[in-house]
Amino acid sequence: MTQIIWNGLFVGSFYALVALGYSMVYGIMKLLNFAHGDLYMLGAFIGFALLTSFSGFTATLSLVALLVVLLLSMVGTGLAGVAIERIAYRPLRSAPRLSLLITAVGASFALEYGMRIIAGPNPQVYPVRLGGSSVHVLGARIGVAQLVLIGVAIALMVTLNAMVMRSRQGRAMRAIALDPVAARLMGVDVNRVIAMAFFIGSALAGAAGVMAGSYYGSINFLMGFIIGLKAFTAAVIGGIGSFKGAMLGGVVLGLLESFGTHFLGGQWRDVFAFAFLILFLTVRPTGLLGERVTERV
Amino acid sequence: MRKTKLAVALVAVSTLALSGCQGVFGGSDKSGSDGPITLGMAAPMSGSSSAIGPYMKNGAQLAIDEINAKGGVLGRKLKLNVQDDACDPKTASSAANKLVAAGVTMSIGGYCSSATLPTLSVFNKANIPMIIPAANSADLVSQHLPNVFLINGTGVQQAQSAVSWLTKQKATRVALVDDSTSYSTDITKRTKADITKAGGGMKTVLHESVNAGESDYSSNVHDIVSARPDFVYWTGYYQEGGLIIRQLRQAGYKGKIMVADGSVDGKLISVAGQSTAQGVYATMTETPDTMPGAGDWIASYKKKFGAEPGPYSPQSYDAVRVAAKAMKDAKSTDGKKIEAALMKIDGFPLFSGKLKFTADHTLTEGGFVILQVKGTKFTLADDLKN
Repeated sequence: MTQIIWNGLFVGSFYALVALGYSMVYGIMKLLNFAHGDLYMLGAFIGFALLTSFSGFTATLSLVALLVVLLLSMVGTGLAGVAIERIAYRPLRSAPRLSLLITAVGASFALEYGMRIIAGPNPQVYPVRLGGSSVHVLGARIGVAQLVLIGVAIALMVTLNAMVMRSRQGRAMRAIALDPVAARLMGVDVNRVIAMAFFIGSALAGAAGVMAGSYYGSINFLMGFIIGLKAFTAAVIGGIGSFKGAMLGGVVLGLLESFGTHFLGGQWRDVFAFAFLILFLTVRPTGLLGERVTERV
Repeated sequence: MRKTKLAVALVAVSTLALSGCQGVFGGSDKSGSDGPITLGMAAPMSGSSSAIGPYMKNGAQLAIDEINAKGGVLGRKLKLNVQDDACDPKTASSAANKLVAAGVTMSIGGYCSSATLPTLSVFNKANIPMIIPAANSADLVSQHLPNVFLINGTGVQQAQSAVSWLTKQKATRVALVDDSTSYSTDITKRTKADITKAGGGMKTVLHESVNAGESDYSSNVHDIVSARPDFVYWTGYYQEGGLIIRQLRQAGYKGKIMVADGSVDGKLISVAGQSTAQGVYATMTETPDTMPGAGDWIASYKKKFGAEPGPYSPQSYDAVRVAAKAMKDAKSTDGKKIEAALMKIDGFPLFSGKLKFTADHTLTEGGFVILQVKGTKFTLADDLKN
């Protein structure tokens, strides 16, 4: 039982990291950024390129080098996220919501198939693999690498939460989420804050990508698709737009999948997880921590 | 007035078309009884499986050149006509129509099962026998079309080979894992049935399906490990296969692991990690580098095409030889006579063993060998021939 819970928590922490970016962008712009999952893929590939080119160092300095690569990839994907926002979303900000949704889908395909041209359709294998020893806690087998990854994920989420709740930038973000027009009248630089939100959200997805690549080992140009869907689901479960909700939603989805697999078998996992989602949303449409927002006119 | 004219014209055109068709269908002998006999091949030259097309084309060409050097078939030379099917059902059926229009006598193509399926009836209507070298879904022969013959092993043979290896290895508790696709589940279901039939202390303790395209299979792996198997058989593709092998070992699984042909690729080893993948078994159709006694053949292939043969080069080579043999035996290029001759073939040597077709038009035996990961490669562990 503890093993099942642990498996769910571990997968859930990846979902949570990606879901955060989804939720953040939605909270501020009311945009479902379908390219978000592909930024996770982009992060994995940037990390892959960096690790391959520094393979001399990584052999000796495995963990430190990996952390450096993690940070560099986060910056890389963050900038990519900002670029996508600048090119594909900003010019359409006053356009109908549907056009924006379609450009998001377009950005997603552009990233996926662009990466296919660059890296080829075959899966690539990470040069550095986290693995190694594991510890037993209450009958569950927990990898040391898993603990490190969860630690990094939690650290990233706590930092983000502190930033959004405490800093000036964070306050500006929340202000825009509440009312972009009023925020602009109050002197908030809306473009800058939105770019910032994209940077942070994308960097988190990129971090998840590098972590997944170094833990699971295999990356390919379509790897962002499924996790993007799952993260979106997690964000909705938690209440889209809410930071804590996204984290909670990720963990809940991970646990649902883990228990679904155990009780009903692998082929029923998604049926179980998503049937639960439907039931849950009919009872509580705003998600776990979402607030009912009256539609602005 | 105009209407009648149109009708007359239509009738005229359709009669023309009909007689034209007859010319193609029945008259390829008459139209050029000294000209070359054309063999048609629909194979993927573009798209996701485009790497395979050239291997098949070269394999077939090699056999054709060898046969032509010995005087051809029925005093006529053989010729190859390759059309791209892109591993896509729609492209494949238009490729098949092109081949029919070009007046091919037999078809020796077919790699992707889904793309080969719609070509069956096209060739059947034109009375053209097909020897399919690579595609091996059981769906291809389930319609019992008289013109369809498979010379690659199907899921039936793969499951048989798997179970005979499990028996040889004295496995007792087997876990079967597939990726929910029809090809993969077909093998696990048949393997499960064969294990029950084989008996002798061996049983299936778990039949698990995973979702392809994900990274984390820890919950599935937990299920597998909890079932305490001593042999795990994975029938999906290499990417998920590599991840599952790695995660099984990380979860402390110490028993043996075997994968099916979709996972036989160098990437399986790199995804799983070289040290983790050591000793993993695989059920696989024979490839040039695992075929005993294929050395000379590989050398002449390399000499001719300046490249190594690849998957399904030998099977395509064999398809041409079987086609030539059947036409010689039938002393005719008529589809029905060739089909009858194909059924009479007994003991014709192929790379995969001696050829005799079953009533289902599939191989009676063989086609699969057991490979094992050693270093960075799959090497032959057992050819299951005794």
